[in-house]
Amino acid sequence: MINSIFRYGLIFVLLILLQVLLFNNIQFSGYINPYIYVMFILLLPVEIPAWLMLLLSFAMGVTIDYFSGSPGVHSSATVLAGFVRPYVLRVISPRDGYESGASPSMLIYGFRWFLTYTLVIILVHHTALFYLEVFRFTDFFRTMLRVLLSSLFSIIFILLIEFYRRGK
Amino acid sequence: MRNLLNFLARYNNLIIFLILEGLSFYFLASRNTYHNNRVVFAFRGLTYGFEEKITNIHNYLNLRVINKNLAAENVALKNNMERLVKGDKSLFSSVSDSVYKQQYLHMSAEVIDNSINRQKNFFMINKGIRQGVKVDMAVTSGEGVAGVVVGCSENYSIVMSLLNLDFKVSTRIKSNGYFGSLSWDGRDYKQAILSEIPQHVSVTVGDTVVTTGYSAIFPEGVMVGTVSDFKKIGGDFYKINILLGTDFKKLQFVEIIGNMKKTEQLDLQHLFQ
Repeated sequence: MINSIFRYGLIFVLLILLQVLLFNNIQFSGYINPYIYVMFILLLPVEIPAWLMLLLSFAMGVTIDYFSGSPGVHSSATVLAGFVRPYVLRVISPRDGYESGASPSMLIYGFRWFLTYTLVIILVHHTALFYLEVFRFTDFFRTMLRVLLSSLFSIIFILLIEFYRRGK
Repeated sequence: MRNLLNFLARYNNLIIFLILEGLSFYFLASRNTYHNNRVVFAFRGLTYGFEEKITNIHNYLNLRVINKNLAAENVALKNNMERLVKGDKSLFSSVSDSVYKQQYLHMSAEVIDNSINRQKNFFMINKGIRQGVKVDMAVTSGEGVAGVVVGCSENYSIVMSLLNLDFKVSTRIKSNGYFGSLSWDGRDYKQAILSEIPQHVSVTVGDTVVTTGYSAIFPEGVMVGTVSDFKKIGGDFYKINILLGTDFKKLQFVEIIGNMKKTEQLDLQHLFQ
């Protein structure tokens, strides 16, 4: 228990540092901003109570908001992602169910499962994030292009990090 | 009562979700006062050090360009000085008061954190209250308008970039004097939109666009950019695309401009409104 709190604390801090110091400084064309901190929500244990999940998502979002100077944008998107996660997990559950106490990882459930899981959560998160940031529906399709391109890159980076974790 | 408790127990996650989302939207809605918040600066203080280091390395790698820009600015200043010194000699004036004609204070600063890929971009500069920076001062780069100061801490300030959907500045077309409002549409960091120019005015591609002094923030005649493209839209106005003079992607050294007579100008305006 203590061990896993420590582990997730470490992941939390590492992801924030990565996001704030590295990924927030990547500025391709204005269409591509990868947000890899959502990985924290992806990695939380399957059996975590939903209320704790929501509070942790909120904490993550607020922290990112503080560092990127965009109050409320990241926190609302991240809380939404945390809210839909249990439903997503239920819909795409593997044939013989989830192992107890395990966190969703590529190692246990395979590449295709992890890709679907990441894709859905990231799309929900990024859609909420980019539309809230703009806060208007003019240029609807341009915002959608930003959502799609950024999601693509977020997913690529998250898969790379996951591969690295598996390699260790 | 028991039904209520059952209800709460059953939907507790939904309720927590709604509370947290409500809180987020509250932050989102009150964002305008956000940047003056001390708490924010306390939190962001953690990253100042890193950001400054990254900026230092970046600047070192760009010394050649910086030198070139400084040299060009020097030449322009020397030309101005020549004109003023030579021009004033024939006039009969000896004023000992050094602030007699001066309306604007200039100060240079360095950009230590910048973004161009959001819809509401801000950047941070390394001068603050202690150096005399105040909210609502104008910020320009050597090539054009860059933004307006929206929040200051002791030694740093946050500037609302021109690349922000909330940014508006009153500008005029230099060749014919017609003025309109310039804003960014969130598309391209090199382009902004000038609106409210009536269609009977003749506009040509390449016309220079400069600020008006109407807002008491920017001085009259600061370069903004040039007309790159224009078209007639419904109503009686043009929609003019402006190629911005400032390249926000390599913004490094900026000038802060404070208007010393601002309160006077604004007080008079309020008196008749």
